[in-house]
Amino acid sequence: MKSFKAGLLIIALASPALSLAEWVDGSSTIGLAQTAGIFPFDYKLVRLDNGFKAYLIKTNAPGQISFVTVARVGSRDEWEPGKTGFAHFFEHVMFRGTEKYPDYDAMVARTGAAYNAGTGADRTSYYLVAAANSLEQMMDLESDRIRNLKYSETDFRTEAGAVLGEFNQGRANPFEYLTEKLRDTAFDAHTYKHLTIGFEKDVRAMPEGYQYSLSFHERYYRPENCVLLLAGDFDTNHAEQLIAKYYSPWKTGYVAPKINPEPAQTAARETTVEFPGRTLPILTVAYKGPAWSAIDKLAVATEVLGLVAFGPNSDIYRKLIIKDQKVQSLESGFRLSRDPNLLTITTMVTNTGDLQLIKDEIQKTVARFRAKPVDARLLADTKSAMRYGFLMGLETPQGTNFALRELVGLTGGIEPVEDYYRTLMAITADDVKAAANKFLVETGRTIVTLRPAAEGRQ
Amino acid sequence: MRTTAFCLALAGVVIPVAEAGLETRLDQGVIVGSAQSNIGKMPQGAIALSEPDSPFVAFNIWVKAGSQNDPKGKEGLAALTANLLAEGSTRQNDYEQILARLYPMAAEYHYSVDKEMTDFTGRVHRDNLASYYALFKNVVLSPDFREEDFTRIKTRTLNYLKQARRFSNDEELSKELLYREIFRGTPYEHPEEGYVTSVETIGLDDVTAFYAKYYTRENVVAGVAGSYPVNFVNRMRGDLDALPAGKVAPVPKPTPATIDGVRILIVEKNTTATPISFGFPISLLRSDPDFYAMMLANSWLGEHRTAVSHLYQVIRATRGLNYGDYTYIEAYPRGFATQVPPTNVSRRSQMFEGWIRPVSMTAPGTLHDRSLFAFRAALREIARLVQTGMTREAFEAQRRYLRNYHVNFGVTVGRRLAYRIDDVFYGIRESGFLASIGPELDALTVEKVNAAIKKHLQARNMWAVFITQDAEGMKKKLIEGAETQISYAGRQPKEVLDEDRIIASYPIPVAAKDITTVNINEVFER
Repeated sequence: MKSFKAGLLIIALASPALSLAEWVDGSSTIGLAQTAGIFPFDYKLVRLDNGFKAYLIKTNAPGQISFVTVARVGSRDEWEPGKTGFAHFFEHVMFRGTEKYPDYDAMVARTGAAYNAGTGADRTSYYLVAAANSLEQMMDLESDRIRNLKYSETDFRTEAGAVLGEFNQGRANPFEYLTEKLRDTAFDAHTYKHLTIGFEKDVRAMPEGYQYSLSFHERYYRPENCVLLLAGDFDTNHAEQLIAKYYSPWKTGYVAPKINPEPAQTAARETTVEFPGRTLPILTVAYKGPAWSAIDKLAVATEVLGLVAFGPNSDIYRKLIIKDQKVQSLESGFRLSRDPNLLTITTMVTNTGDLQLIKDEIQKTVARFRAKPVDARLLADTKSAMRYGFLMGLETPQGTNFALRELVGLTGGIEPVEDYYRTLMAITADDVKAAANKFLVETGRTIVTLRPAAEGRQ
Repeated sequence: MRTTAFCLALAGVVIPVAEAGLETRLDQGVIVGSAQSNIGKMPQGAIALSEPDSPFVAFNIWVKAGSQNDPKGKEGLAALTANLLAEGSTRQNDYEQILARLYPMAAEYHYSVDKEMTDFTGRVHRDNLASYYALFKNVVLSPDFREEDFTRIKTRTLNYLKQARRFSNDEELSKELLYREIFRGTPYEHPEEGYVTSVETIGLDDVTAFYAKYYTRENVVAGVAGSYPVNFVNRMRGDLDALPAGKVAPVPKPTPATIDGVRILIVEKNTTATPISFGFPISLLRSDPDFYAMMLANSWLGEHRTAVSHLYQVIRATRGLNYGDYTYIEAYPRGFATQVPPTNVSRRSQMFEGWIRPVSMTAPGTLHDRSLFAFRAALREIARLVQTGMTREAFEAQRRYLRNYHVNFGVTVGRRLAYRIDDVFYGIRESGFLASIGPELDALTVEKVNAAIKKHLQARNMWAVFITQDAEGMKKKLIEGAETQISYAGRQPKEVLDEDRIIASYPIPVAAKDITTVNINEVFER
């Protein structure tokens, strides 16, 4: 499972050729056919009466298809007390078979498809990469398990063991350990308070949740809440017929979660956490950000802000990582979520004695971006980086679907990719400054420092 | 450049042509792809794969040296050298400038150092080919060896060795320890990143000396793939010809010691989950006739991170002891981070390896009982496979599976290029390994597969590594040969419980003298 650090930036672009020539030293522009938008592939949206949507995306990959089902359910939707981690747990249970196909693994094995699944805050996705000639089998298997999942209590309990194993593995990672504390500290009401893997006591109680799991499936795994991304090599008409055949009988019945809105934070928060192992200290400075939007300039400017202020080409990155070498890593996590979530700056510090100095450097950077507009070149380079970051991800059918699945989690569709891109290209230095002033504020700040527990110290 | 700090791992070599029987004459460039006539004449020491429809160009500069070339006491030098090149300044640009120029292209370059190979790889959108290549070639051609870059990278490497390697990924650590035990006394013994004490002694002068010795015209191969323009291969090879001349002496082929019985290393660590790695040397390489038969058998027994794996079905799916159980017939470093086999980790000596992901307390009982139960289950399944072979039905099903599944191995232009480089390492000619898998599978029979299993697999003589709490307690349990029964959170069918009784007392033929314990704080110190 990958929780809050999934894949690529989602970006788009309207008039691509822009002034890239300014930085490209000539000659080699062989020329990707630049059309009106950024997304280079043709696609068709199929929408069934029950609300189910499928995007059929033709990409250049002879003989191969990527089949990704995005269920718009993630740790965000775990609003009931004691049930955190259930979206991810459920991801595991989805491989436990149906009446028609009791052994899902064996069925997929017969097709030779590669498959797995991943859960995040806003979505769970199930993916297969398969030979093009197994399209109908994929439709059959995937529609069957999402509609007719059936598993025994024994299987359910057994799977809980695997999830606890995964929990323990994550716990061994100091970054995940810190993030767990960060979310718990920064949020009071919203479900973003917990990690995707869930609170430990809830993970340990999972084996007792069989009945609850049935209701979880009933409420969230419904056609109105699920989207299919099919990319690669297939016949569009044939695929459309198969979708109608296999997904039309699926009954509606989605019940939206009752997620508490997060009240406005009114004062800075700060805490430390001890890691039961050896690690260098890690510092995270987080702020409350806005919800994702493709058209709200302030939202898109916030994502740009994360890169220009704390990204791999930022002044602070150069200073702390390359010049002074006071930190081992510096990462900005300004990707927005379906609901307002955290904007994070995370750094592993070489010497504990420098922690305050690093904190001060981060604050100085925040102050600078609040006070002054971003350098024009850096802004332009960042837009280019976001655009090419998206395009570089589209090499394979699965890469394409992975580049789009977050967008489906956020919005339920892929169409906003073009809006997002247009908005991005229109972002000005003033927009970035406005985002800094709106969101990088002391009252919205949470700082967590992780140190090794005494036992593990050198 | 790696943005993720420590993707360390991997490292490189000299191919001792005659000695290893892996003839890799680079006097004939390998060329494949669909538009040969557009590419121009193929130069020596180059590997190219033309795919004009791709929007991308991928690079792979292969330096035939790796961790086996590290001088004694300077273990980690090949990796540190490659790391400095990939994340340091060149004579043309400060490292900061390089980062600033790569940034708008959303492009990076990476290094990987394995036992026998070093590779510098990258991919760029063809819009940005010229600017990217200008930076990329200088990584190998004109590194500036600045003291400040060296300090940054050495410090980070040492932090990784002291902290992250020991404390952040027990599974990978157990694998590295297994490799060390199996290849002890050979040039494969040390991990590519070296030891704490060896890296501490490495100075910038060591790095420049290593570079001068191994980064020579004859020892470096130019690889490019995708939609590169006419004559680009010639240009790239011509650029690399600016490196000084220099022949590299071959490293003798590693010959691991024979293992008699089960030998066990238990690492003492305060943990609530026990990862297990086990294995033994096999005389099987990708270029051998038996390879595809064993590829199929291994796929059935433990296909990497898939539920197709038989061990996965026995240990995880049926019993919920952990979340995955897999086996390997070729080196598979960093398996936790990849679904498809790593490339450019070609080796002249391989081992069979089992990976039991951390076993934890998912039901009442003790951690040691559960861990040893999982290990016993794995031993038993391998022994059963050797004894009875695959059934015709399982063989056919696995062949169908692998026939389609292997398509995932070469989905990107960079991976297809990397496989061609590995082909050259192993002396696989003509269509290459990737393209051979399908036809070779078609030509297999269940008899061939079962004969290969009998020849290459066994479950009696091996090394196993456990990372767990109370190492002495586990040692005692092993010596006593005590039963290690497990319990379940839910109800299990009778046949599972019956089988459990057999597994719980399945013999682990280990003598007290063959069990070593070590504290985590001492691991890989020297």
